[in-house]
This record gives sequence, C-alpha cells and structure tokens, in this order.
Amino acid sequence: MTTTAPAGIGTDVPETADEAKKISRAEAKETRNRPRRRKKVRWISNTIAVVFSIVWIFPVYWMVNTAFKPRSEAMTSVPQFLPANPTFHNFIVAFTQGDFLLYLRNSAIVVAGAVILSILLGLFASAALSRFTFRGRRTIMVFILVVQMLPATALLIPQFLIFSQIGLIGTYGGLMLAYVGAVLPFTIWVMRGFFLAIPMEVEEAARIDGASTWQVLTRVLFPLVMPGIIASSVFAFIAAWNDYIVSYTFMQDQSHYTLPVWLASFTTQTTGTDFGGQMAASVLFSLPVVVFFMIIQRNLVSGMSAGAVKG
Amino acid sequence: MAITAVNPGFRMKKKRSLAPVWLLSPAGIVILAVLVAPIIYLVFTSFTNYDQRTLYTGAFDSVGFANYVTLLTDPDFWWSLIRTVFFTAAMVIGSIVIGTGVSHLLTRLGTAMRYVVTVVLIFAWGMPNVASSLVWKWLFQPGYGVINWFLTQLHVFGDMTNVDWSNNAFLSYSSIWMLIVWQAVPFIALTLYAAETQIPAELKEAARLDGASEWRVYRIITLTFLKPTLLLVTILSVIWDYNVFNQIWLVSQGGPDDATSTLGVFTFKTAFVGFELGQGAAISVVTTLVLLILTVFYIRNLIRSGEDL
Repeated sequence: MTTTAPAGIGTDVPETADEAKKISRAEAKETRNRPRRRKKVRWISNTIAVVFSIVWIFPVYWMVNTAFKPRSEAMTSVPQFLPANPTFHNFIVAFTQGDFLLYLRNSAIVVAGAVILSILLGLFASAALSRFTFRGRRTIMVFILVVQMLPATALLIPQFLIFSQIGLIGTYGGLMLAYVGAVLPFTIWVMRGFFLAIPMEVEEAARIDGASTWQVLTRVLFPLVMPGIIASSVFAFIAAWNDYIVSYTFMQDQSHYTLPVWLASFTTQTTGTDFGGQMAASVLFSLPVVVFFMIIQRNLVSGMSAGAVKG
Repeated sequence: MAITAVNPGFRMKKKRSLAPVWLLSPAGIVILAVLVAPIIYLVFTSFTNYDQRTLYTGAFDSVGFANYVTLLTDPDFWWSLIRTVFFTAAMVIGSIVIGTGVSHLLTRLGTAMRYVVTVVLIFAWGMPNVASSLVWKWLFQPGYGVINWFLTQLHVFGDMTNVDWSNNAFLSYSSIWMLIVWQAVPFIALTLYAAETQIPAELKEAARLDGASEWRVYRIITLTFLKPTLLLVTILSVIWDYNVFNQIWLVSQGGPDDATSTLGVFTFKTAFVGFELGQGAAISVVTTLVLLILTVFYIRNLIRSGEDL
C-alpha cells in the first residue's frame, strides 16, 4: 500500500539545496524505520482490535452462553465461561411455558402488515418525489424528514387517545397503523435515493416507445429499484419487530402481546428470576434481526445516516 | 435540463401531469392521519385536564395553560430536563469518541482482523434493545452477575459481588450509559470508517513524507475530511440519545428514586402510570419542541452535505 516514492518523482521538486537535503534525510530515516515501525504499529492495532472485540462481543456471548446452561450452572458465584452440560431446556421452556409461538404469530402478523403497507405506500410516494418535478416537492421532502424525527413517546399519547376512541387499541390493525406511521417517512426517504440513481434516459426510452406513466413505473422503474425495496423492507422490519413502547401501551390483552413485550415480561410472568430462560428467549427474539443485519450490512451505513431506525 | 432546451413543451406537459398527486396521496393520507393529526391532537390535549376518568366518561375540560404552568413550576420536570441534557451529552461524547477511535482502528487492520471487528460491531448493533436491556440486567445482577465477579477479581474496588447497580444513582446510570454506548458505537464507527476510506491516500503519504507524525496526519488530514460526517453522526446521536426510552425503562424504570428518569420516562409515567394524559401531553409538547430545534440543525447539515431535496 505504501511504497516510498523515489525522490523527485511524484513529489515537488525541492527549491533549495538545503530543503532537498532535509527531505532526503527525512526520507532515508523513513525508509530505514518504516518496516520495523509498521510492524510495531500493526501489532499494537491488532492487540487493541482483539481486546475491543472481546469486550464488545461479550454481552452477546454471555447471552448465548447462559441460554444453553442448565439452571444450576447459570446461577453460580463463580461464572462458568462455557456450559459444562449444554442443554436446550431453556429454549423448550420458552416454547412451552413461555408460549413463544403465540407471540411470534402476533409479531409476524403486525410486522408483516406494517412492512407490506409501508413499502407499497412508500414506493409510490418516493417515485413521485424522485421522477417528477412539481411545485412543493422540496417542502414535502423537508416535511417528511421532520415527521420522521417525531419522538415515539410524544406520538404515543395522542395515538393512544385517538385509537381508543375509534376502537383500534388492542387490535393488530391499530398497532400495524402506528408502525406504518413510524417507518413510512423513512422508507420513502431510502427508496427515493434508489429511484434517483436510475438514469433519466431509461425512463425516456420507455416513454418514446409509447409507455404510459403507469407502465413506466411498474415495468421499468419498480423492477430497477428492487434493491431499494429490499433494503427498506429490512429497515421497516427491524423497526417494527423491535418496537416495545407502542406495543406495550396499545396491546393490553396478554394474548395480543408482541414478542418484545412478551420478552420484557418474561421474568415476572412465567419463570421468576430464571435468567437461562430469559436469555434463551432473547436469543430467539434477536436471531432474525442479527441475521438481517448481516445480510444488509452494506446498505446499513448509507441508509442509517439518511435518518434511520429510531434508537 | 437538456430536454428543456430542445423541447420546452415536453417538460411543461410533464409538470402538469397529475401522476405525482395520485402517487403521493395514499402515503400522504396515512402520514396525515397517523402522524400529523395526532401531533395536532397532542397540542389540543395539552390544554385539557384529560385523565383516567376521561378514558371512561369522555368528559374533559379546557384548562388553558394550567398544565404548562404546573409543568414549569414542577421541580421534577426541571430535573428530568437537566438529566436528559446531561445524559444525552455523556452518551453522545462516549459513543462519538469510542466510535471515532474504532473507525480509525479499522483502517489500520488487515483484512481478516477488520472482518472480525466488523462482525462484532454488527452483532452489538443488531441486538434489539429490549433483548440487550435484559442481557444488561443479567450481566449486572448482584450475586450472580458476571460483571460484579470480574470487578471483584480485579481487587481494586474490594468485594463487589453483592453490589446492586440498580440501587445507586451513579451505578445505575453508568450501566445504562454502557448499554447505550455499546449499541451506538457500531453505527458511528462503520459510518466514519466508510468516510475515512474515501480520503485520498496520496494526501496522507505526502504528509508522512514531509515528516509529519501519525497523530498530526490524523488530526490535520483525516479529521478535516471526516468533519462533515462527524457532524452529521453527532447530530443524529444527539437526537437518538435524547429520545432513549426503552433501555432506561427496562433497566431501571427511571429509578432509583427517579435518578435516571429522563423526559421520556417522566412523560410515560405521567401519562400512562398516573394517567394524567393532559399533563403528559404538555410535557410531550415541550419535549418535541426541543427536538425540533435539534432536527433543524440536522436537516440544515444534510442539505449542506450535498443531499439534494
């Protein structure tokens, strides 16, 4: 990566003899020291990286480790860094006593509905905001950015009041709608970026061939933004899947709990202070999200800086 | 633009097209119904005495600015606000400093090691915060928690085995701080790393040839290039950390004695534990106003950083 350039090539020609001497001296020193110094730097960097990785992965490792331990091994005064007798018992408890599948079903219904709806609505809206020029477009974009930033805790009160007046509290539909509101501005924003990347010529060619606006959209543009649809679906999925506070407030009937609320109440509801069970449930709940994060990690950074899944 | 020059009529026709209207309306209606109407209703509610009784009878009265007066004379509110500002600052500084460090670390690593660190970062980032909050409570559990065991082994703080982190304001906050920073660093580090790889290598090479130390190269070249990204990431972190609710609620419920009760927790307790919804709405209005100021900064920077609207 860093080969030393011969003096005079690629660098400015020194103006005075004095300067030239200084540069060549510095260069000589550099070339002499570089291999050893770089090796040392590499060694230090690797050590820091290893320490950092251990510290940062530790909570995840500890969750998985505890999940596979029998109760007698989880609650010891000297922690055991690997389960001596690995067991699926905790997972079985989560499925049977914890009724994992019921809550998985609740979450799946609400999250799937919210993702599909927000993608459909977002697709049309982002097409309008990227492929057409019209008055007020800029205002709408700023407006979308602003509503996206509204804090969940502030929306909670009025949404709760309005939804309870029209009978949406405690229903899948109500929760779904709240999630669509939370993720729609963001999906519009992300998909718009993908639309903007399509060259205008593609669209014009289709128009010249006599395609209507609808045909241009469905036959030409939508297939081309498929990566954007996938990326924003994953974002919408993660946001809805992870939500705790809205679901906790809206779903008062325990049989309608979504997974995060179930998980948070797992301690008191079923097993007392059974950390093995809690950690097994956490693993089950986190798994799909972590898998998705791995899949779309390339898109994550660019997408998140555009506004992102609310922390 | 070229089209305008060749055939002005084409663009005019397109401008009058109704397509944007029907494309935008479905999303527009949903956003108006689910986000804008509630915000208007929130402001309205903040001027009423909406409470638990109202939920059953539907009766409530307008109370003018009474909720706001109560709020501004309530020390609990001011303390929550101060805590929120202080907590946000501490969390943002922590995650930005560590994130910047990790980003730079990534540029110094070989492919294999960089891959390992990236995977680790994604694991921490990907954990849903409800799950990570539970894991935190388990890590910091008195008696059996692995953190207490580890701290005891260090022989620096004495026997920490039975220390209850949730019982002490400072410790309780520290554990929440670690949780937030743990999950915030990956985004910051990976975003900054992406920006750092865009810096032309010749610049740094030239500076090194001129005999600049690594620290100076970093400070003068790298940081200058990272500045816009760093600013954007900082503003986003401020907004996110200001809004943190789940982790605090799940780890400490705002306790002990409201020591970790931020504006979010204070609002939630007022509105959904005490069921003083009118009062809660007033807090939310104030919270949102502060947030809007932060958002203005964010949007201005987005536009300045070249995002075209």
